[in-house]
Amino acid sequence: MKHFLMNLLLSFIWVALTGSLYYSNFLFGYLMGFFILWIMNRQEADRRYFNRVPKTIGFIFYFLYEMIAANVQVAYDVITPKYFFKPGIIRYPLEATTDIEINLLSTMISMTPGTLILDISEDKKSLFIHVMYLRDRDRFIQQIKKGFEHKLLEILR
Amino acid sequence: MTDILTAIFSTIGALAILFASIGILRMPDFYLRLSVTVKASTLGVGLLLICAAFTFSDVSVTTKAMAIIFFLILTAPVAAHMIGKTAYHTGVAIWKGTIIDELKDFYEKKAPDGDENPEQQP
Amino acid sequence: MTLATYFDYVIFPILIISVVLVMIRLYKGPQVVDRVIALDLIITIGIALITAYSIRSGESVLLDVAMIFALIAFLGTIAFSFYLDKQIKK
Repeated sequence: MKHFLMNLLLSFIWVALTGSLYYSNFLFGYLMGFFILWIMNRQEADRRYFNRVPKTIGFIFYFLYEMIAANVQVAYDVITPKYFFKPGIIRYPLEATTDIEINLLSTMISMTPGTLILDISEDKKSLFIHVMYLRDRDRFIQQIKKGFEHKLLEILR
Repeated sequence: MTDILTAIFSTIGALAILFASIGILRMPDFYLRLSVTVKASTLGVGLLLICAAFTFSDVSVTTKAMAIIFFLILTAPVAAHMIGKTAYHTGVAIWKGTIIDELKDFYEKKAPDGDENPEQQP
Repeated sequence: MTLATYFDYVIFPILIISVVLVMIRLYKGPQVVDRVIALDLIITIGIALITAYSIRSGESVLLDVAMIFALIAFLGTIAFSFYLDKQIKK
């Protein structure tokens, strides 16, 4: 957290020095501040922030890729006259425990087309997901666990 | 250059919205309609807003467009979840091609003593 | 071909055809919930139309209206589902 605030301060200083307030300039300042902080803190013990930022960026790109791929699949299915899907409602056992983790995970799952959260059990142990392309139940659960949940929990914890 | 980028992005966005509206017209049941609609339309509007941010290249416009995209991404899943849950409670029928429904077992396990589904007791 | 003509002849017709298609679902919809999501989609397409018009005419003020529309669509869906839920419980 301390590193993040320092990084933000450095990027604001960069924007003030260059004097042009654009998002690209801000991003450039942020990356430069990240690099400077990374060089300065190479000996310190607490280096979680420097692992987290690249993982977050990678996760955002992974999420965008998944979203576009699933959208193309759904769009192909919509315009062709035959239905290819096999819908089903499955129970998904959660590993995330706190509210913010569950909230982020369910937003991610709901935003990828083809999957939709219908309900959550009262003890917050399992989600009920409506899936459009359900080939194999266990493989789908493994796919979401490996793809979204582990990556998200790596960032948050 | 900016014009070409704007044209490509806005075409993809408008096509995503068109697919969403074809999907809502010809999907066989409510859950599939919801599943197709919410995400494709969010993607389309997001792409059009990114186009607006490209075209104006002004800090206030970019901030506004980012705020709208953030708000849509934050609220669309919540609204979909709420309306889907309500539809399941109201008893909207599932398409006949649905292979498994584990939520039904969950509700039947939960409400044997209540009067939620009276046709269970003969 | 300029960007304005491209928007006039390609983007706006696509969006307007989608509004018409969703209107058919809003008219047909077997249950209430179908009509609720059709209305939600119409408002979302409205946001897209406002954005496209603001790109085409170069007036960035219209994006404020789009923001308010995004707020109201969410509130409408939530209110409908809340009252439908309440109606069954009774």
